[in-house]
Amino acid sequence: MIGDFEYFAPKTVDEAIALLSKYKGEAKIIAGGQSMLVVMKRGLLTTEYLIDIKGIAALDYIKYDEGEGLRIGALTIHRAIEKSPIIQKHFRVLSEMEQNLATIQTRNWGTIGGNLCHGDPAGDPAPVLIALNAKLKLAGSGGERIIEVEEFSKDYLEVALEPDEMLTEIQVPTPLSHTGIACEKLMVMKGDMGVVGAAVSITLSPKDGVCKDARIVLSNCASVPLRARGAEKKLIGKVLNDSLLVEAGEVASTEASPPVDVHGSAEYRQEMVKVFVRRAATKALERAKAA
Amino acid sequence: MEETFGNYSVIGKAMPRVDARAKVTGEAKYAADIELPGMLWGQIKRSPYAHARILNIDTSKAEELPGVKAVTTGKDFNGFKWGWSGPTRDEEPFATTKVRYQYEGVAAVAAISEDIAEEACDLIEVEYEPLPGVFDPFEAMKEGAPLVHDNRPGNICVEYHWTFGDVDKAFAESHLVREDIFQTPRMAKGYLETPAVVAYWPGPDRLVFQGAKGSPYFPYRILARCFNLPLSNVRVIQPFIGSDFGGTKNDMTHCDFAAPMLAKKTGRPVKLVYTQFDTLTTDLRRHPMWITIKTGVTKDGILKATYVKAIADGGAYTRMSPLTMFLTGTCMTLPYELPNFKFDAYNYFTNNPSSAAMRGHGLYHSRFAADVQLDMMAEELGLDPVEIRLRNAIENPEPGKVYETINGVHMATCGVKECIEKVAEATNWEEKRKTKKVEGHKSYGIGFSAATYNGGTKLSAHNACAAIVRVCEDGSINYLTGASDVGQGSDTVCCAIAAEVLGVGLEDIDIKRVDTAFTPVDPGSYGSRVTVLAGQAAMNAAEDAKRQLVEVAAQQFSVTPEEVEIKNRQVFVKSNPQRNMPWERLVRIACYETPGKVIIGRGYSTQGITILGLADLSKGVGDIGTNYSFTAQAAEVEVDVETGVVKCTDNSVIAHDCGFPLNPPAVETQVQGGSYHQGVSAALYEEFKMDQGQTLNPNLIDYMRPRAYEAPMTKVLHVVTNDPYGPFGAKEASEGSCCSAPPALINAIYDATGVWIKDLPAQPEKVFWALKAQKEKKQRKK
Ligand SMILES: Cc1cc2nc3c(=O)[nH]c(=O)nc-3n(C[C@H](O)[C@H](O)[C@H](O)COP(=O)(O)OP(=O)(O)OC[C@H]3O[C@@H](n4cnc5c(N)ncnc54)[C@H](O)[C@@H]3O)c2cc1C
Repeated sequence: MIGDFEYFAPKTVDEAIALLSKYKGEAKIIAGGQSMLVVMKRGLLTTEYLIDIKGIAALDYIKYDEGEGLRIGALTIHRAIEKSPIIQKHFRVLSEMEQNLATIQTRNWGTIGGNLCHGDPAGDPAPVLIALNAKLKLAGSGGERIIEVEEFSKDYLEVALEPDEMLTEIQVPTPLSHTGIACEKLMVMKGDMGVVGAAVSITLSPKDGVCKDARIVLSNCASVPLRARGAEKKLIGKVLNDSLLVEAGEVASTEASPPVDVHGSAEYRQEMVKVFVRRAATKALERAKAA
Repeated sequence: MEETFGNYSVIGKAMPRVDARAKVTGEAKYAADIELPGMLWGQIKRSPYAHARILNIDTSKAEELPGVKAVTTGKDFNGFKWGWSGPTRDEEPFATTKVRYQYEGVAAVAAISEDIAEEACDLIEVEYEPLPGVFDPFEAMKEGAPLVHDNRPGNICVEYHWTFGDVDKAFAESHLVREDIFQTPRMAKGYLETPAVVAYWPGPDRLVFQGAKGSPYFPYRILARCFNLPLSNVRVIQPFIGSDFGGTKNDMTHCDFAAPMLAKKTGRPVKLVYTQFDTLTTDLRRHPMWITIKTGVTKDGILKATYVKAIADGGAYTRMSPLTMFLTGTCMTLPYELPNFKFDAYNYFTNNPSSAAMRGHGLYHSRFAADVQLDMMAEELGLDPVEIRLRNAIENPEPGKVYETINGVHMATCGVKECIEKVAEATNWEEKRKTKKVEGHKSYGIGFSAATYNGGTKLSAHNACAAIVRVCEDGSINYLTGASDVGQGSDTVCCAIAAEVLGVGLEDIDIKRVDTAFTPVDPGSYGSRVTVLAGQAAMNAAEDAKRQLVEVAAQQFSVTPEEVEIKNRQVFVKSNPQRNMPWERLVRIACYETPGKVIIGRGYSTQGITILGLADLSKGVGDIGTNYSFTAQAAEVEVDVETGVVKCTDNSVIAHDCGFPLNPPAVETQVQGGSYHQGVSAALYEEFKMDQGQTLNPNLIDYMRPRAYEAPMTKVLHVVTNDPYGPFGAKEASEGSCCSAPPALINAIYDATGVWIKDLPAQPEKVFWALKAQKEKKQRKK
């Protein structure tokens, strides 16, 4: 089923990177295993060397500083993000996103880093982080580098990690003032992967209430998390109202090229993009006004 | 305070389940837990094709792999075929000439580890000639369609044509006649425990089989025939069973043949455990059915006639399809009075995995169609759904009388009216129905339904359950039965019945798992038959033991046996309870007075057969049940009208007439489980999606099964009718509630949205397009 592999459990990032460099390309990192094991059990992935990073305690943290913003260690579990008072206070949308990510059992074991590195375009965190303008810190044998979350996903289950690199931190800047952010996804049952989903960030100008910036990101609508730039353009520079939000949904729907599978046809998903962009945008706008 | 029923010492009130401790402590061993010295692992080689001729099977490379101890193919079984009944033996343990569904087994391997067994399967080379297939009944019925079984022209698996009364005349006389087509999908049974088995041969002609089988006397008989053994030499030892719900755990799977054959070849124990993938691709599924139903009513909504044409996808082999189609038809004449009824059933072979029984067997499909159509007709007539049901519901017969339907189904008790009334009252139906609730994009609605199910199912051939009550010299009791508790709680009620009759406590009785070497033969756990029939066996066996003890007591008290009573572990003279002795003392006297007695009570069930006879499946007449449960249900749904997502809310109530609730909490939880897990779930979520015989969602992420978040906390109300054919008045519990949930939910979706979803499940996309079409139609009208 899963096959034979050699197992390592490094305790530090340096040890992990040393192993990655040593077995370049032959090794695979496992964190919570919530995505990996599904893929391995279906026989879609085998590896010679398995590097279990769950024991690297230094990568499990949530830090906040108004100037620096939010820093989340790659090994922080979903449930910790969901329940963090700091996040609930300053980045409520992240906590809300986590509440509908899988079941409590999965959230208690799966990590935010693992979710992002899995590179599933249906994943919930990436669109929200892209809406939040977040960055990732990657560590490799050549040192560290920073990359936009938006640049990280390359293709279906493919991310911009070199064979000797790992994700260590998620960096979320403090949003500009008068910004509201919300996410919504279509679930048939609570905790399902979204049939489609949308994360929307809206920043208003305090003077005249004009939309200064909008970021609309769709999940499960392309091979990577999809920025609906056309839909964003519909909003930027305007005083927003309900019909503009409906229009933004309609434009986003034309930008999406969702998959077809047992959970829905492409046509249905396109209809749902309209609904979920509008719903998330409505909530984001309310929040921006209240901010 | 817990509700209690009747005036009894043990039954009719909450009692702990006798298996609870073993299960929560992990002491309970399931088939997959069994480990034996020298045990080998088996694995099955399966066909990638849904329909193909087998040209050659080369096992040589697999045999040469180090660690492989034996390989078997269908040829080793010398042409043995098996089936649900004599005339329907159409399946080989492993396909030899042709595979008929994807992943059908063609060979099996035993090796020293799971990995080696799997590797060896990959090394087996099978040459196939792929054949065109038929993947639904409509393809299967076409002229010139490929044949699944060369000797079965037209791919017809089962066909019934029954007529009772004169439907044409009745339709002509009806005020309103409606015809609709309803559809039910293929579904998984939903047991957590996948098929698993360990088999070994303690001697050259002695087989021990420990498998996850809900009806252990099925493999007992089938394996005896397969390996040409006397029944006395086939020992099936029943592990704990991780639920069943019909089909696979009654019948055989490839692993049930592979383990004994590989064990025979190697002389070592062999174990096989199915993965969830094996289960979701090859285990028996609920039949997909297309039900065309035509019904005529008077202007007052009184049913005049129903014509049902049921078309089913039977899958690759016959399995239990003859019974499924019978059950789909027979129940049309209850729970409502129906004077004219016609039924045409067609079950086709296809190149899909076989279909078979699932909780609510048969009735689920046609009662769904009938109970939704009843709401449609009520609306056309301007009648309330509760009112039309009350007008048609069969009355509870007077004590001593028996109601007979037009197709010869008999019932001495029928609590459906009371169920309907209770649910209407508990939900405040009229009020609730009037208040239309719309909150933003959510629309709420409530729907009603009523249902029935046969309890104490009896088929042809052997039907009796039996029990042995062994009273030990210290007063404790061993209870032996061939009836299996697969999780439904029957061990507890059988022990409770024995305790009640003997006048002792539930804790005095120790029940053993089935072991065919020691326990009496039993038909099996299916058709809601265990409580009714094994329960009667428990009663009879306990009475036999009690009679033996009472004789001793009578001598001791110098009275006649009729004057002696045993209650709450006290033995006394009825007319003078001062003259008494403790139960232990009586037992000790009985066992130790020279020469000493050995107190063994034995009993078996006779109920139902002796009184009402057996049903004739082909003619559609007679009783399949010993008695019949009744259910009424109201369910509230919340529909997201922008997305089509439907949820069943907590505002759902069920009233259930199970005759008499022997263990009330067990009845309630079974009813909730049946109604929610397999009723609501069938209505809203579950369906195998197929493409040319391939299952597209063979995992529990894509095959949607709801979790606790989606579970409505249904309220359960008891209706007690004390059926004379059941032990202490009991009938069946909960298969009825599995049938009442889908129509209640579909009727509720209509109440919320004005849209009829006639093909289950009401998955979001389906509801969304239906709502969109409705909106466009309205706009066009304007
Ligand atoms: C039943 C179920 C439901 C789910 N529902 C949802 C849902 O609704 N929404 C959603 O977004 N997700 C969902 N998921 C996915 C899952 O929760 C996440 O993807 C999971 O948390 C990944 O984290 P992990 O630590 O388990 O990663 P793993 O499975 O251990 O790893 C995933 C991938 O990331 C790599 N990796 C892990 N950590 C690092 C690192 N630090 N650096 C480099 N590479 C790394 C691994 O090599 C692997 O390729 C669901 C999963 C399950 C089982």
